[in-house]
Amino acid sequence: MSQKLSVVGKRIIQPDAAAKATGAAMYASDLKMPGMLIGKVLRSPYPHAKIKRIGKSKAEKLPGVEAVITPEDVTQWKPFDRGLKDLPMIAGGYLVPPDEHILNERARHFGDAIAAVAAINEHIAEEALELIEVEYEELPFVIDPEEAMKPGAPQVSDVAEGNIGKHLSYPFPEGDVEKGFKEADCIVEGTFSTTKQEHCTAETAAAVAHLDVNGRINIWSQCQVAHMARREIAHIFNMPVSKVKLMTPLVGGGFGQRGSVCAEPICIALALKTGKPVKLEYTREENFTALESRTGFKYNLKIGFKQDGTLTAMQVYMLGRLGGYMGCGPMASVIGMVFGLGHYRCPNRAGEADMVMTNTPVSGAFRGFGNPAMMWGIEQLVDEAAEKLGMNPLKIRLKNIKKAGEIANMGLRLESTYLDECIKRGAEAIGWKEKWGKKKEGKMRRGVGIATMTHCSGAAPLYLDHSNAFIKLNEDGSADLTVHPAPLGQHIWGALSQIAAEELGILAEDIHIVTGDTDITLFEYGSDASRSTYAIGSATLIAAHQAKEQILERAAKMLGVSPDELEIKERQVYVKANPKKSIPVADVCYDAIYNFKGECLNISGKCSWEGRWNSSPTGAFFAEVEINTETGRVKVIKFVTAIDCGKAINPMTVEGQLEGGMQQGIGYGLTEDYIINKDTGVVESDNYDTYKMPGILDMPETEVVIIDKPDPKGPFGAKGVGEPGMVGVAPAIANAIYDAIGVRIKDLPITPEKVLKALGEKSQ
Amino acid sequence: MKQIANFIVNGKACELAIEPHMLLVEVLRDELGLTGTKQSCGIGHCGACTVLIDGIPTLSCLTPALTARGKNITTIEGLAEGTRLHPIQKAFIDYGAIQCGYCTPGMILSAKALLDRNPNPSREQVKQALSGNLCRCTGYVKIVDAVLAAAESMGKEASE
Ligand code: FES
Ligand code: FES
Repeated sequence: MSQKLSVVGKRIIQPDAAAKATGAAMYASDLKMPGMLIGKVLRSPYPHAKIKRIGKSKAEKLPGVEAVITPEDVTQWKPFDRGLKDLPMIAGGYLVPPDEHILNERARHFGDAIAAVAAINEHIAEEALELIEVEYEELPFVIDPEEAMKPGAPQVSDVAEGNIGKHLSYPFPEGDVEKGFKEADCIVEGTFSTTKQEHCTAETAAAVAHLDVNGRINIWSQCQVAHMARREIAHIFNMPVSKVKLMTPLVGGGFGQRGSVCAEPICIALALKTGKPVKLEYTREENFTALESRTGFKYNLKIGFKQDGTLTAMQVYMLGRLGGYMGCGPMASVIGMVFGLGHYRCPNRAGEADMVMTNTPVSGAFRGFGNPAMMWGIEQLVDEAAEKLGMNPLKIRLKNIKKAGEIANMGLRLESTYLDECIKRGAEAIGWKEKWGKKKEGKMRRGVGIATMTHCSGAAPLYLDHSNAFIKLNEDGSADLTVHPAPLGQHIWGALSQIAAEELGILAEDIHIVTGDTDITLFEYGSDASRSTYAIGSATLIAAHQAKEQILERAAKMLGVSPDELEIKERQVYVKANPKKSIPVADVCYDAIYNFKGECLNISGKCSWEGRWNSSPTGAFFAEVEINTETGRVKVIKFVTAIDCGKAINPMTVEGQLEGGMQQGIGYGLTEDYIINKDTGVVESDNYDTYKMPGILDMPETEVVIIDKPDPKGPFGAKGVGEPGMVGVAPAIANAIYDAIGVRIKDLPITPEKVLKALGEKSQ
Repeated sequence: MKQIANFIVNGKACELAIEPHMLLVEVLRDELGLTGTKQSCGIGHCGACTVLIDGIPTLSCLTPALTARGKNITTIEGLAEGTRLHPIQKAFIDYGAIQCGYCTPGMILSAKALLDRNPNPSREQVKQALSGNLCRCTGYVKIVDAVLAAAESMGKEASE
């Protein structure tokens, strides 16, 4: 595709950036309505307890308190699936009867919601919480999945017998793994474990709800999948979908955590009970304990290779911790297997997973979903095999990566891949040749490491991948584009504006995004699975194309030529053969609206898009680390991400996504540890004093290499880029550590203690 | 018992009756409607609530409002002059330093305090000055670029 592009590929500034830079931007946490009450939630201090009695009269009597609700006050409403995944999907038929209530009679994890209040201000609401008297009966609890699977372990959920929330199989098994291992000359295997990383969205969960004069629920929700949330909310509150109006304000970070319903159900319950607008904003501690965070795994992985480095078999058994409720956790195993086992060309593949219920906060989706967890092990074992086979880590990867046209990770055609270029250019940027495999001496030792990945640009074919776009041209030649991605900070409004403007031949600033209201927007599955630019962008492109054809048709009449003789550039329709003959787009649009000749037509286009293909972004990650062999401290000196995300719609945004991915990946790799006390079940890391996410001083020198070659299917050649950024960061660091000091850390995060212990074992 | 307190917020004098336990972040957001100041951790560890008190970056989530009596408080809303953005705001926009934007007001105010006292900082000095501000989206790279670019454009403006 050698299309000349004038808007796509430009580093345009974002439509919402000025509002965010001046403090004018409105987030859910900033909303205020006349007479609005403030909600607060009482949460269980125990990991597992029955509520024997709740006394709420003292709290109710406190002046300023308008409602105190307990589990018995919410029984008319249905239990729900917070992960919003109760739709048929091919990956393991993951339909489980939801058994989470708005408030729960039996607390199943530390931080589970027990009661809630609405009061005229936050202080009174907090005071009211303290006046609620709860008599708990503490129950035996289990926090470790292996323990939970043993006979006689405390039963977490009534719908998960033996605490197996779900047994899942890899949906794209291939060949015969036993045969594959027999054919192997070299087999590497290991047990790896990954952590329950917390999203640390800058804005905590927040929602505002009220009942309007027509009895409709109005809810401002941060949910990344707005229309799916509306559906679930209608279900919970026994209402038709038409009785729920869901609005999406700007969101202070999502990363998958807002792919589930968060504060919405309790907020709406309080609004229905009081008949007044209610705002419910979680504290940071509630964000850690009441919301979903990354699904932690322990898994056994085995990979076989031929002497020449060719893969013969891959097999994994994963054990995942779900927590007290189902959430999005189960899918993390399936997606992990899909991305991990489908990354390289391998004729024999198999995977199984047990997802186990435990008395811990719920597990869910976090950027990359299961991909970072699986690549953590796969990329370390590939390095191990390379060493055994006497091969360079780059070479063994180049040998096994897939080519365009093969079957990709998601079971569909691999539309395009430039992973070989990512590996080569990334290696150059980190200085691989000069630095890798060199002899190390002294107290401070440096090393470099690589990891690669393949991801997705949407949910197809595993899950619903349905997007819509509607565009109309105004009489001044500008356009209103109606779409409903979640504005999480990923610059999606800008990217969609560029796609629409490019197609229409106008400027990005001519596009006005109409969004954030389910009354106005067409159905949108939403912003997850790195799908917004690809899927909503595809819908936008087709809608814009329809509108463009109408412009050309009218312009042709006005200029006395045929439509295919025309082109649109910078707001002007030109006769290609005679560019002196032209007419402004605005004049065409004006004539279409104020016509008076019986030919009125508001130029517009609309597209319903359903993913039938799914272009995989690929990437290579390179870390250079320095290790203090006396303290075990690992410092990342430089990090390079080389990405094949198709055509970069906005390179500045792509860089931003990948740089942000490095921060999250370095945290996942080195410092972010979600600590649950084994004896008490209490979450001990619930704010930034106890949970260390990387600050500015923890960041290395960084470099992003964008291959920038268009994909045949994505809009203007774009593929997804949101999630890939963090996938390979931690394994690249682990491999660099091995290069530096010859030890392998298989349990995340890589703490100084683990490094010292491994060094000690090695020297023995 | 509420007490009457006077502040100068973004150059304007204001008088408010406030409870002694109220924090500055609450007064700014809830009483004055200046919601540009964000609260993210509430324990002094993220910098989202940073405002300038007499030019000094201060965590408003830890500051009892009454201790700021009579002081000059600058919030993110006070940086632009009318529709003319402050060069730091402009640089944050132009350099893609803003993603979700929730850390942005605190970042910009920390950066302003730095550039007011050191108009020509090194990359390292910028990092030091922003080390109390957490960002989950950007990886900080473009934030540092933006602050350095702002320093340069402010330097040019000053010499013109
Ligand atoms: S909210 Fe004040 S430092 Fe985090
Ligand atoms: S831009 Fe989202 S936290 Fe910084």
